[in-house]
Amino acid sequence: MKWQRKDILAIEDMSVEEIRHILHTAKVMKEILMRPIKKLPTLKGKSVVNLFYEASTRTRTSFEMAGKVLGADMTSIAVAQSSVSKGESLYDTARTIQAMRADLVILRHSSSGSAKFLADILDAGVINAGDGQHAHPTQALLDIFTMEEQLGDMDGKKVVIVGDVLHSRVARSNAWCLQKLGVDVTLVGPPTLVPVEMEGLGVKLTHDLDGALPGADVVMALRLQLERQKSGLFPSLREYSHLYGLTTERLKKTGKQSIVLHPGPMNRNVEISDDVADSVQALIERQVTNGVAIRMALIYLLIGGSSNVVA
Amino acid sequence: MWWLKDVWVIDPSQNLSTPRDVLIKGGQILEIASSMTEKEVEAKAQGELVETVDGKGKFVFPGLIDVHTHLREPGQEEKEDILSGSRAAVRGGFTTILAMANTQPVIDNRALVEFVRLQGERAGYAHVLPIGTVTKGMQGGELAEMVDMKEGGAAAFSDDGRNIQNAEVLRLALEYAKLTGLPIISHCEDKDLAGEGQMRRGMSSARMGLKGIPSSAESVIVARDLLLAEETGGKLHLAHISTTESVELIRQAKARGVNVSAEVNPHHLIFCDEDITITDTAFKVNPPLGSQGDRESLIEGLRDGTLDMIATDHAPHTQAEKARPFAEAPFGIASLETALSAVWQHLVLPGRLSLDRVIEAWSYSPAQRFGLNGGTLKPGTSADMVLFDPDFSEVIDSAQLVSKARNTPFLGKTFQGFPVMVWVEGRLVQKNRTVL
Repeated sequence: MKWQRKDILAIEDMSVEEIRHILHTAKVMKEILMRPIKKLPTLKGKSVVNLFYEASTRTRTSFEMAGKVLGADMTSIAVAQSSVSKGESLYDTARTIQAMRADLVILRHSSSGSAKFLADILDAGVINAGDGQHAHPTQALLDIFTMEEQLGDMDGKKVVIVGDVLHSRVARSNAWCLQKLGVDVTLVGPPTLVPVEMEGLGVKLTHDLDGALPGADVVMALRLQLERQKSGLFPSLREYSHLYGLTTERLKKTGKQSIVLHPGPMNRNVEISDDVADSVQALIERQVTNGVAIRMALIYLLIGGSSNVVA
Repeated sequence: MWWLKDVWVIDPSQNLSTPRDVLIKGGQILEIASSMTEKEVEAKAQGELVETVDGKGKFVFPGLIDVHTHLREPGQEEKEDILSGSRAAVRGGFTTILAMANTQPVIDNRALVEFVRLQGERAGYAHVLPIGTVTKGMQGGELAEMVDMKEGGAAAFSDDGRNIQNAEVLRLALEYAKLTGLPIISHCEDKDLAGEGQMRRGMSSARMGLKGIPSSAESVIVARDLLLAEETGGKLHLAHISTTESVELIRQAKARGVNVSAEVNPHHLIFCDEDITITDTAFKVNPPLGSQGDRESLIEGLRDGTLDMIATDHAPHTQAEKARPFAEAPFGIASLETALSAVWQHLVLPGRLSLDRVIEAWSYSPAQRFGLNGGTLKPGTSADMVLFDPDFSEVIDSAQLVSKARNTPFLGKTFQGFPVMVWVEGRLVQKNRTVL
């Protein structure tokens, strides 16, 4: 297909064809990534700006490595906070970056919609590396890539996503992506973290993890933000872990050799037990590798122009 | 002298909705009568020059009264000031506006009340009536000097923008305000339930990952305030009602005889949460846009009188403040210049509300409830009056707006039906959409 998009903002507005094209491109990128000498001249002379308003080690590094393998010049701007009262507004920062003639901006920001906001201002492309609780499209793409690598076509298969769904951009992007590819998705967590209005995502909701597990091909645990307990959304880590923590014993309830995913970083023995995290079923490090491949694919598709690594 | 010929007169205070001729002289309504002859008019003019307006196909009604505007002066003049706000008012068909007290500093004493009133008089467009705070510093604790503020010209009392969370403070306020005869305007919002929400909690907020404000954040306080008004017999006015539950609570309270009135904002009658897109902060408003069901309940409530009046909650902000990611932008819609046309276009033309009801709810009802001049075209009263042309078409364009603010979801939209002449005390202040 001919790539048209300037930006990658959310899976919600992407077609199945586009998702397939990205996954196909990522496959090639992964082969390049696995080479002993992983450096291409493809994006030589292109400048990519990593604009991170939230602390993030793995996502920022992943984008940085992806860009470097393709030969782009990577600049990282870490902004301590996106405070309204302090510092430059996102609008003015966008104008500044525009004036510096960057080719692509990777944005991580605590406000939902900030990636679209930036994309509307910039001529350069924008990749959303997580905007508030709204979307994290590259995570969803690396997740489906990992699932298919292990299990083949996911059409008709069953994925259970458990945790703080309400506050999770990972859950939202996965819900859209998996549904589009014909996957049966169930979101699980306590009613305070999986409220009824999440039905709008078009997926199944339940508060009973044990009841949701039978038949699951993939179980994805979300990172629990520990400050949620302080705001009263659940009484204790102990009780949360008791109800929704992934343990070896609980995982047996799927009745098959299911795979376990986690977007990281993990709270061990809260949402996922040590033995599950370190088991062969857990593909958590594979997700990290695939994340670089997916991000290579996206950077390439957005600013690779007429060069053709893939063909 | 003005002679409006063959114009459709809507005046709920006289049960009028019919073609008539209208004469204005000496700043007052002189007469409303079936077609007059030139000779009759000349006789009444007593030598004064007669300016004649052909009113065929147009409406004339009392100048609109808006009991809820934020004019931002003193303290936030970059958003709006009393001059720009009162110019925006007459451009939109409003001849009396009540200025909310949440300025910087807040209007919590007579000196500040008099300042706002004086600035309104200096501006010389719409009548600007100050609202004083209920509590000192709008802190929700000690009562402000309501009697003294009334002496200085305050028309009501409100801690709008910040709900009085302490029920005992509100109870005392409802008791004490009896000394003034003026209403306490309550901004109903439970601060804990609203939390850091950005829009109404529902499927749209869940989909966009924007923190939600449940409808209960409003309705639990509406219930509380109605019970306190009932217990004290105090005079309560509820600002910007936005939920089905609130409408039902008010309906029941009125049936029990509680001394309560309520307003609804045009944007809650026109939009719902599904209209919000993740980057369009013009739709970010508090209380947030509700569900489609809420919108229906509000229209029904306005039709049956449960909701007494329409008010804009004109909330101007700078473009820089609104040009931010959704969660970081301030709440508010600037609406004085567009509200009447928007209601005409979205509610009157499709037959959801009659123009007669709109005029009653936006002039007569607020005048009655707040004890204000205006809201009528009875001979002998001050000629605060609007000529509305249903055929006048205009694009809502940034360059034409006279408010300092541009934060309206109608920017770029074309409306047909505008106030094309506005008189304040018989003086023409707006003609063909230009403020004079």
